[in-house]
Parts: sequence; structure tokens; C-alpha cells
Amino acid sequence: MIQGEEAKKLHPTLSYLVQKQSLVVPLIAVLVAFLIGSVLIALQGVNPVGAYQTIFNAALGSERGLLRTLEKTTPLILAGLAVAVALRVGLFNIGAQGQLIMGAFFATWAGFTFTNLPALLHVFVGLLAGVIAGGLWAAIAGVLKAYRGVHEVISTIMLNSIAIALLDYLVNHPFKEPGQALPRTVPIFETAQLPKLGFVPVGFLLALLVAMFISWVINRTTAGFQFNTVGANKFAAAYAGIKIKYIVVASMLLSGGLAGLGGAVESLGITYRFEPAFNKGLGFDGITIALLARANPLATIPAAFLVGVLRSGAPSLQFDYGIEPEIVDLLLAITLLLVAAPILGKLIFRKYAKKSETISSGWGS
Amino acid sequence: MSKFLTRHQKPVLWTLLVVFIAYGFYFWDSVRTTSILNFTLSYALPLILAAMVGIIGERSGVVNIGIEGQMLFSAFVAFFAAAATGSLIMGAFLGMAAGLLAGAFLGIAAVRWEMDQIIAGVVINIVAAGITSFYYTPGKSLPAIVPRIKIPVLSEIPLLGPVFFNKSVFVYLTLIIVVVLQIMLFTSKWGLRTRAVGEYPSAADTAGINVFRTRIFNVAIAGILAGTAGAYLSLDAAGWFERGFTAGRGFLALAIMIFGAWNPLGAMAAALFFGFASGMASQLQADEVINIPQQFINMLPYVMTLVVLSFSAGKVRPPAAVGQPYKKEG
Amino acid sequence: MRRIRIAAGISILALVLAACSTGADQADDSNCADAEVFCIGLITDTGKVDDKSFNQSAWEGALAAAEELGGVAKYVETVDSKDYANNIAQFTDKSYDAIVTVGFLMAEATVAAAQQYPDVHFIAVDQFQGETLPNVTGLMFPEDQAGYAAGYLAGLMTKTNKLGQVLGLEIAPVQLFAKGFEAGAKASNSAVDVTTVYHPPADNAFANPVWGGQEARKQLDQGADIIFAAGGGTGNGGLIEIAKDPAAGESVFCIGVDMDQWNTVPEAHPCLITSAMKLITPGTTQLLLQVADGSIAGGNFYGQTGIAPYHDFEDVIPDDVKDAVADVVAGLKDGSIQTGVTL
Repeated sequence: MIQGEEAKKLHPTLSYLVQKQSLVVPLIAVLVAFLIGSVLIALQGVNPVGAYQTIFNAALGSERGLLRTLEKTTPLILAGLAVAVALRVGLFNIGAQGQLIMGAFFATWAGFTFTNLPALLHVFVGLLAGVIAGGLWAAIAGVLKAYRGVHEVISTIMLNSIAIALLDYLVNHPFKEPGQALPRTVPIFETAQLPKLGFVPVGFLLALLVAMFISWVINRTTAGFQFNTVGANKFAAAYAGIKIKYIVVASMLLSGGLAGLGGAVESLGITYRFEPAFNKGLGFDGITIALLARANPLATIPAAFLVGVLRSGAPSLQFDYGIEPEIVDLLLAITLLLVAAPILGKLIFRKYAKKSETISSGWGS
Repeated sequence: MSKFLTRHQKPVLWTLLVVFIAYGFYFWDSVRTTSILNFTLSYALPLILAAMVGIIGERSGVVNIGIEGQMLFSAFVAFFAAAATGSLIMGAFLGMAAGLLAGAFLGIAAVRWEMDQIIAGVVINIVAAGITSFYYTPGKSLPAIVPRIKIPVLSEIPLLGPVFFNKSVFVYLTLIIVVVLQIMLFTSKWGLRTRAVGEYPSAADTAGINVFRTRIFNVAIAGILAGTAGAYLSLDAAGWFERGFTAGRGFLALAIMIFGAWNPLGAMAAALFFGFASGMASQLQADEVINIPQQFINMLPYVMTLVVLSFSAGKVRPPAAVGQPYKKEG
Repeated sequence: MRRIRIAAGISILALVLAACSTGADQADDSNCADAEVFCIGLITDTGKVDDKSFNQSAWEGALAAAEELGGVAKYVETVDSKDYANNIAQFTDKSYDAIVTVGFLMAEATVAAAQQYPDVHFIAVDQFQGETLPNVTGLMFPEDQAGYAAGYLAGLMTKTNKLGQVLGLEIAPVQLFAKGFEAGAKASNSAVDVTTVYHPPADNAFANPVWGGQEARKQLDQGADIIFAAGGGTGNGGLIEIAKDPAAGESVFCIGVDMDQWNTVPEAHPCLITSAMKLITPGTTQLLLQVADGSIAGGNFYGQTGIAPYHDFEDVIPDDVKDAVADVVAGLKDGSIQTGVTL
């Protein structure tokens, strides 16, 4: 830690900042992104201060807004975790979307199929069904990768498309709600519904716990150590006696399970049924979030919260000022760019800046 | 020629087999065969170009997951530039320039800034989606249509003529690009350097190749191809720009690149396979010949890809240094 | 030096973006709580209000009503289908008088909101009301009739006896159009063969003009000479592709959907003989005016369907064909002709 040594010569506050720069840089990135965003908003002839006020007011200023924001944040945390876990092993799970919708459907299925279950158990069964569905769906990609050498990017893209078609079939034929023009399932039983505590959805608390648990697994357990080792250097991992194939399958199972849980929480907590139009793009937001969080499980929480706030405030922005909701994507892209590009760190910390590291080292193999 | 044949026995035989079968079907039902192959080619065209973008990038050691965004951005620029200037050529030109810009961004971010390549690609995708829907303006239309150019003599060949030789300039351009790229990549000095940089950057460096410059240059040039694909989509294939209308083609192209084992001709074959499967899916739906829910027909190409890959993958491997920023020692 | 270059780059980008800035265009709704000011809110079920067909026609209807009443109209485009309730609440918070929810995906959210806000009247476009609520009016259309009339015309006009259909997602309104078209074509020409292809299920089933164009091309190649393109952006891609055919307007024609697409897709002029219309714009306006004068009733309101004017093809279509189609349109209206379409 030469950086640490050098930093000690600095003023204590500065040295603190230098050591915490992985925290400082994202914060400044968000601020700068909002500054650039305010220029874009001003160019639309709208006062940026008012616009940002609208976003935050709508997303955080009322119980209804807060509830919606937390509801939006919940699946994003889980989808972000899904992508992050796979990244730790050097796998790029671009198929979180497919796993998420599989989870959403099968949680719903458990929700309307099992009768006479006590509420708590029914919710648990529903969540479990989602986790299993998402996990197994991703495990296909894991097995193909480990035993047949099929690249996970290609297999998860294929599995996304297959999942969409498969679920479309299921909601159009065997599980279609009778007498409905719209292809969708019947609603789940009340016993399977995830409740809300005031403006806090229970699913959100669950997502927080899961994020903490995953963080613990990744950073403190043998399994996590093996994950990281495989991700950092396959040859070293093999030399150390780690069963790489096993780790690849296990990590995809875990990753898909997390994405499936994200879908399950949506189905049991918000939509109460399955419709193909639901859950659009959540898995892809998961990629953004995992990258914003630099594959750090705990950091997915603030990253998902940021996305949740922006997405939940955007409709009000259009309502009040006629600004298209896509401004949110511009803000996120600028933030991601600033977080990812080492420029900002170099500008602020000069020679004390940390070298950027690759988090997706396993692309090539 | 004979050397080429002995070295590439398998692909040549496969190609002959496919052509043979195609003619078999042609003599059975010429209208359906021709029209499905027309569909196949136009469906595959943007995928082929996008796969070339991926191949050039990965062959030089840079993952390009931003092809989707590069195409979308270029399609946007091409369409609105053509509508504003009243010239399709201007639109296509500016679309390609937009692709170059997006490609150069990836190159500089990945190489100069040593940014994580996947993040850089994702940034391109999100920025492109954001800009193109945020700044989309309704009510614009193209000044003209992209003309078909009939190539004399060749266009008279049964089946191959109408499918390959009576098409817009984009088709000819794409076919030329694929062949030229295939030859360049494996025989030219540029190809040798590119592959060296993608396989053993440190050795390439020692041999006096500028790794940074080669990578940036290649990724930027590949951006022009993404721009061509985008221009094709908005100026020719759709004649229109719709928000988000690249619809995952950039990601599919990555799959096709791997399917084609990082070879231009192989990727073209894979893209044509996807186009064919998609054409067959709608044809089976139209003809109502078999009573299978259409969802299963639609998922067929994806399932087949997985099956085919699980038997053939493992034999091919990506360029060794893909995804890793090169750092000079010392 | 490096930083200056970056700054210069960003400012150039900003200038470019400023040049194509669209500007904010939402109306002032601060007086909506006043009884005199009539405020109309509109929410799309994921599409954009400039989609050249479905959403756009409803929005134009809302604008027309607002102009007539000297009121205010405003829209929110839904991005996430789980935001319906919140988007509706934006309007109810500001005491809007009428809210138009466009698209049948919103059916449940509309009914739920209507129960929550009994003082607001909801116009539910394409949403069938099974149970009547006093403050929800479902604006429904017999799409099969519009399709039938267009199909009848196509059946008389075809020379190859082959017709094609390039469609969006396989959902009720699209199916009604398509089955109506086929029934109409068979009614006027028993020898006709109709090819029907829906877009594969995907998020972009109504926004894939590239696929629409390719599928239309394929059907043309297989001998179809009139193609009905019904599916938002996907269908528009089909229209534009057909318009590019060298024989477009002579022996090859296309038929649009929802609005008179002569006005919304000018690229299709070479081939567009008519459009199978559901008159959402006048229907929406009419219902909104009824809300304003208090004469509105809950339940379902059936709007008009029809086929669009022939425009430049007025002289291409023989008079006896026009007469026959006019008879069919009249017959559909007075109920003497049934399409026989069921889902």
C-alpha cells in the first residue's frame, strides 16, 4: 500500500478522502452528472432547479412517492446483485432479464396454484419458486459454460429470447386467465401477497438483507473466496485446487436465483399476477447497477436507489415540464461514465488516484 | 485456389451442401424459396455488419458490447441527417461518421483511459438509447428511397441472382466488407498486427507494434461498420427511425460472432442461419402447415443455437487478450 | 490542455443538442381546481403520443376537446406499466376533470382509480367495461368492421387473388382487425387467399419497422398484391416497404390502420389506397365534450370505424368497386351485414 503510505503525509482530512476515494468518486460523479443534466434540461427551456426539485419531490416527498421509489428499488437491488455475483467469478450474466421473468412467472404460479397454505408459508413458497426458476434458468448457461464451453454471453442472450417466447406461450395457452382478452394469468391468492409496512414494502427489506448476506458470502466465506479467485485468475484457482466447473455452475445458479427473486418480489409484492408487459428492462437495469456498484454487493443498494429515485420521479418531470422521461437514462449514462472512467479520480486525486481495475476479467475465456 | 480448398475443406463442403439444398427447394417451389432467402439476407444484413464490428474489436483485444448503441445512434443520425439535408448520401455519410465517433469513444475509453471495456460498452448503449429517444422529433421523413441496383448478367442467375444481385448498395457493400475483412485479417500486415495485439499484446509490443494505437484505430474503424449497419436499418430496411428499434440486434451479433468462431465468413454464415430461421418462423405461421403454437417456432433458432454450440463450442476459443486493458511494463 | 479539449468537446456536444432541442410543451394547469377550467389528462399504456397511430389519435382527440372547451390538456407517457396508478394520481392530485387512459393494458388501473376518485370521469380507450361504473366510459371499437370493409375492398382489387397481413402482437384489437379483413376479403372474392403473420412475441412487437418491412417484402415476393399492415411502428415499416415496390400504386397496394395513415405516414403515399380506421380522435373528443356538459354515461361507448378516403387512388379504384364498398360500409353500420368474426 504505497498509496496509503504517501497519503499519510497529507492533511488528515485529505488522506481520509484519498483512502475512501472509491466512495468519494461515485458521489462526485453523481453530482457532476446532475450538473451536466441541468445544462441539458436548461437547453429544453426548463429551470433545472425546478426540474430536480420535481424529481425528488415526486420520488421522496410523499408516502406514495416513497413507496413507489422503494418498490422500484427492490427488484433493481436484486437484479444488480445477480449481475454483480456473476461478475465476481468473471462471468457476464447478460441474461438477468430472462431469469427475472422466469422467477416472476413461477412465483406467480406458486401464488395461484397452492391453496390453503398459511400466509407466511405461501409467500415463502412463492419466493422459493421464483428463486428456483431463475436459478435453474441461469444454471443452464452455467452448465453449458462449464461442461461444453459455450460462452455465457451468447447462451444467456439466447435464454432471454427463449424465456420470452416460453412465457408468452404459458400465459397465452395453459395459464391464461379465462375470459380475458389480455394474455395474463389469474391473480395470486391473498395468502401469497407480500405485504407493505407503511411506505416500506417488505420486499425491500428482504432485498436489503439479501444484499448484506451476499456481501458476507462474497467477502467472508470460503465460497466467496473461491468465487473471487476464479474471477481473478483461473489458472491460479485451478492450481489452488478449486473446482472451477463447479464454481461456474454454482455462481450462475446463485446469480439467476437472485434475479428470479427480483421477479418473484415484483409478482408477489406489486403486480399480484403475471403479464408479459411487466418487468420490462429490469434485468438490463441490473447490469447498469452492478457496474455502477463496481460489482460490490453492498454498493448495489445505493446504486439501485439512485436508479429507483430517478425512474420514480421521471413521470412527474414529464407531467410538470414536458421533459421526456428518457432524461433519466442520460443522467445514468453520464454517472456510469464518470464512475467508470478513471478521469474523475485522476482530476481530483492526481497522483494519489487509484489505478482502475478490470472487473470483468473473464470475458475472454 | 487449390490451396484454399484443401485448407478450408469443411466450410467449402458445407457451403456447397447448403447451395445444393437451396437449389433443390428452388426447383420444388421457386417463389417461396426465393422470397424466404430474400428475407434471410435482409434480416441477416445488419447482424453481419454488427458481427464484423465485434470481430474487429475482439481480434484486437477489445470487447465491444456497445454495438447495439453504436448502431442505434448511427441510425438516428443517418435518418435525421437525411431528412434535414434532403440527401440519402449525406445521411448515410453522417451515420457512418456517428459510428466512427461512437467507435472512437470505445477505443479511447478502453485503451487510453483503461476503462473497463464492458462498462464502456454499456455506457454507449445507455447514452445512445437516452439521446435517441430524448431528442427524437416526430414528423420527419426520408427524401427518397435507397435504389436497387441490378447487376447485369449475375442478376439473371436463377435464385442467386434475385437474392444477391438485385439489391441496394448496402448489400453489396456488406458482402464486400465481409470478404475483404476475411482476407485482410488472415493475410495482410494489418491483420497480422491486429491478431498479435489481440493474442499477445506484450509480444506485439516487443516486436514494435504500437498496441494502443492499433487497438484504438481498429475499434474506431469498426465503428464505421456499426454506422453502416445503423444507416442500413433506418435508411433502407425500415425507411424510418423508431426509438430503440435496433431491438437487441447488437447483442445478437455478439452471439453470432462467437457462433462464427471470430471469423468474418463464419459469422456471416451464422447470421444467415438466424435470418433463415426467422424467415421460416413467419412462413410456417403464414402457411399454417403445422399446428404448433407460434411461440415454439419463434424460439427455435435460439434453441438450435444453444444445441449447435454445445456440440461445437469448446473447439474454438476467443483471442487471448480480449477484455484486458494493455499496460506497458515498467 | 487535455481538459480544455474535453471541455470544448462537451460544449460542442451541448450546442449540437441545443440545436435539435424540442422544447417543453406542457400546458399550464395551475387553475384546474377551478370549476370553470376544464382539464383533460391523458396517459398512454407504454407508447408515445407521437406514434403515428393509436396513442396519437387519442391525444389529438383530447387536444381538440380542450380547444373547443377553452380548457387544458396534458399527457404522461408511461414507461413502466407498474406506474399506471401513480401517473393517474398526477392528474387527480391537480383536480383534473377528465382522464383519458389509452390502451387495454390499463383496464384494471383505470377501474381502480375510478373507484378511488368518484369525482373524476375516466375515458378508457379500448377497455371493455364488464361492470358499469358511473364515472368510467369504455371507448370501444368494432375493429372487425373496419377490417371487414378494408378486406372487402382488397378482395375486389386484387389481381393475384393473394392478400397479405403484416401484424403486431397477437392481441384482441389486432386479431379483430385481421380476422375482419380476412372475412371481408372472402366475402367479396371467394377465390382469395389471405396470408396472416403476427410479429413474434417481444417487447417491440409494435415497434419493429425493420421486421415489418421484411415480412411485407416476403409476402409481396410470394405474390400478394395488397397488404394490410396493422401493428403500430411494425405495420408502418411494412407500409413503407410496400411503397418502395416498383409496381406500387399500379398493381401493388397497401392498407393502413387506426388513423388515416395518408396523413401520418407520407412515405406510404405511393401504395396507400385506404386505412382501416377506428375513429379514436372524434370518439375521444365527443366523450370529453359529454363529460364537460354532464351528459356522459358510464359503461361502454362504441365509437365509429370506417375506411379512410382513397386520396390519390380515387381515380384508380373503379367506380363499381367504390359503390360496392360503400354499400358494405353502410350495411355494417345499420347491422344488415355481420362480419361473423369471433375471437
